[in-house]
Amino acid sequence: MNIPSNIGKSILLASSIFWVIYLIQEGDLDFAPIVVLSLIPISICVSLTIVITICPVFWALRKEKEDNKSLAKRCFPYYAIVASILCLYGVKASNFDSFFVSFLISAYLTTAQSWVWFAKEKRS
Amino acid sequence: MKQTTLIISSFLFSILFYGQNIGLNISLFSVLTLIILIIGNTNKFKNRTTLTYALLYLLTAALVFFQHSFLSLIANIIVFFTLVGNITESKSSIFVNWLNGIYTSIAGFFHRNFDHNEKEEQPKLKKDIDLLHWIKLIGIPLVFIIVFILLYKNGNSVFNDLISQINFSFINIQWILFSVLGYFLFSNIINPVHVEPATQSDLDAGNTLFKTGSFSEEKLKKEQQLGTTLMLLLNVLIIFYLVTDIIALNVSSSYDAVTLSSQVHNGINALIASIIMAIVIILYFFRGNINFYNDNKTLKFLAFAWIILNAVLVILIVIKNNDYVSAHGFTYKRLGVYIYLLLTFTGLRTTFLKVLKIKNLLFLFRANTQIAFVLLIGLSTVNWDAFITKYNINNAESLDVNYLIHLSNNNSYILYDLREKGTLSSSNNQAIFIKHTAYLKDINTRNWQEYTFANFQEHSNSETHID
Repeated sequence: MNIPSNIGKSILLASSIFWVIYLIQEGDLDFAPIVVLSLIPISICVSLTIVITICPVFWALRKEKEDNKSLAKRCFPYYAIVASILCLYGVKASNFDSFFVSFLISAYLTTAQSWVWFAKEKRS
Repeated sequence: MKQTTLIISSFLFSILFYGQNIGLNISLFSVLTLIILIIGNTNKFKNRTTLTYALLYLLTAALVFFQHSFLSLIANIIVFFTLVGNITESKSSIFVNWLNGIYTSIAGFFHRNFDHNEKEEQPKLKKDIDLLHWIKLIGIPLVFIIVFILLYKNGNSVFNDLISQINFSFINIQWILFSVLGYFLFSNIINPVHVEPATQSDLDAGNTLFKTGSFSEEKLKKEQQLGTTLMLLLNVLIIFYLVTDIIALNVSSSYDAVTLSSQVHNGINALIASIIMAIVIILYFFRGNINFYNDNKTLKFLAFAWIILNAVLVILIVIKNNDYVSAHGFTYKRLGVYIYLLLTFTGLRTTFLKVLKIKNLLFLFRANTQIAFVLLIGLSTVNWDAFITKYNINNAESLDVNYLIHLSNNNSYILYDLREKGTLSSSNNQAIFIKHTAYLKDINTRNWQEYTFANFQEHSNSETHID
């Protein structure tokens, strides 16, 4: 599993989604200069989420001779359902606050895409 | 073709839902969803079950328009998931359809990417149009230009003034973002996907229980003795309870609201514990080889007797709830008791069938979820607020007008008619008038996407009702 590459791509994806949604919702472009600075907290969040919630699935639940794609097909549905429920709950609990909506949507889409990138890797 | 349909649909999605409440838009969205599903899965719609779900989906969408109730909306959403899941695999159980429907709706796009082979797709893309290249060519410079403009804006006041004069207010970016959400949803459902292990396991598992290899007469005899003793004692206990309950019902014919309420709720609590224990104990004893044991007739008889006695318990609670309702009218809680009792009764019936026909646990789960699904659709066809209001006004011995006022606007006209009879207190009259006026205002300020059946009734009613 190429975790650094996956995390790198995920950070870029998460930052793009988060800022596009947030800037559109707020309609205030004054936040734009801090986009680059925001890469630091986003990197931490993305790295932790991938290492804590996705990688253990690949490490712990892989059957003998099972490739990444089969494992992803077997486990991703449950991950996606749980993640989407948590994100929807978070959006509702935050009373549709722009920051949390952007954060949770980008978290959901990024983790899902991260699964796709892992699934497409050839097993080393 | 599919991409064009998806893009058009995503714009329609925004037109229907952006900044709108629920109403006609749900019905139109349902038609749009069906068109998308038919385009993506034409062959699947030759299946009778799929067609039935498609019709049910349209029916519940129409119910949202006519009833405008939360229940009809929930029914519509559940039928949507069922339909999408059924297109994935028409032979799977209804709860697997729900699982597949939910999964497809939230992550179908990503799942399909697992199988997407970039190397095979590349030549095809290049032959038609190099979409990715164009996206890069336009997107990347655009993003960098915007970032740098925003950076330079803060460094030079003349540049800032010039940039500020550019007005893009005619573009509603939030509306476009909402369309992207629509595109994501439609692209997820156009080719439904399935949760692989769950769907396959469900297809492989039948409803019938089979004798397992480890068939020990000695072990089964001991288990049968334990089961028979337990069932016998439980039967004696429930008979004793039922007899005392029937005596209590006959001795005192009238109760006040508090006593009736406590009786019904205590009865329900007893019933919940009793039914859950009954089903768990029966499932435990009839989980395996005891079904095929020759001397299991007494145990089976006692299990059937216990199920029937539990059904009698259900009937007794229905009688108590009837007394409660005829004295004090319907409320959602009292209706909920009836629904719970109906579900309990059907649950007992399926447990009875499980033991009688030697079925497995999955049979019980499949049958009960199907019954719950049908019941939900059936219940969503009724306008409950109007039903409760009409029933209570015409039949209840003591009328709780405050409760009726706090129901949804679906009973607004009925309450207004009651007000005109002049039998209510001035505070109730005032509250009904305020509710009715607010309802008429709400109807008249709706956009076409939010129209419900009430909008088409409103003209004739408003003429007679506005003071």
